[in-house]
Amino acid sequence: MPIVVNLDVMMAKRKMSLNELSEKVDLTLANLSILKTGKAKAVRFSTLEAICKALNCQPGDILEYVEKG
Amino acid sequence: MKMQTRTKRVLAILNIVSWVLFVGLCIKTGAILYSFFVSLAINSEATRNLYLGLNLSDLHRFSGGHYSTVVCLIILLSGLKAYILYLVVKIFLKINFVHPFSTDVASLISRISYVALGVGILTLAGNGYCDWLTKRGVAFPDLQSYLGAGGEFLLLGGIIFMIAQVFKRGIEIQSENELTV
Repeated sequence: MPIVVNLDVMMAKRKMSLNELSEKVDLTLANLSILKTGKAKAVRFSTLEAICKALNCQPGDILEYVEKG
Repeated sequence: MKMQTRTKRVLAILNIVSWVLFVGLCIKTGAILYSFFVSLAINSEATRNLYLGLNLSDLHRFSGGHYSTVVCLIILLSGLKAYILYLVVKIFLKINFVHPFSTDVASLISRISYVALGVGILTLAGNGYCDWLTKRGVAFPDLQSYLGAGGEFLLLGGIIFMIAQVFKRGIEIQSENELTV
């Protein structure tokens, strides 16, 4: 998929663990893992909002469009 | 809630009916197969009553090849119908009504549609073959109850094929839904 999820990069920048983020955004570890590994097919705006709030970033910091070569 | 209980009961009855039909068709196929071998290898008098009064002695006298072809067609169609019911029984064993859209069930439904279409085409061909033999002067019993009606099976196969396609789309939607975070 040409949409790349850079959640791990932002988590590393904010020095936040998956467990901590999971508690802050009220998402299960399994769902966060799906999002982190790029297996997710869709992201709800409410989830994106919660993640941006927890990591203090913009949606563009988490999602990136990379054209397939 | 009441509707759900009724649906469950209907499904349980359908499950029992498909088991009964499956066993019945297996017995029918086995019985015709056995009497066919007896008529060929042991005693040709068996052609007078192959299965529940099926008398193909005139056809046997007319030509052994045509007799074998017609009986093989009857056995094949009966076996394929038993296979369809085996697949239905398998669906009942595998389906989970909480998460019904699984690839296993989808492949079973598509297989049923392909087999039903095959049965329909074979039945139509068999009926045409029997008509051709009748025109050549062979006295024939009515084989409708042994061969069945091809049109119905073609229609059934077509409808199940469409349901299989909808089911496949259902699986895609379910997996998308499961992967929405």
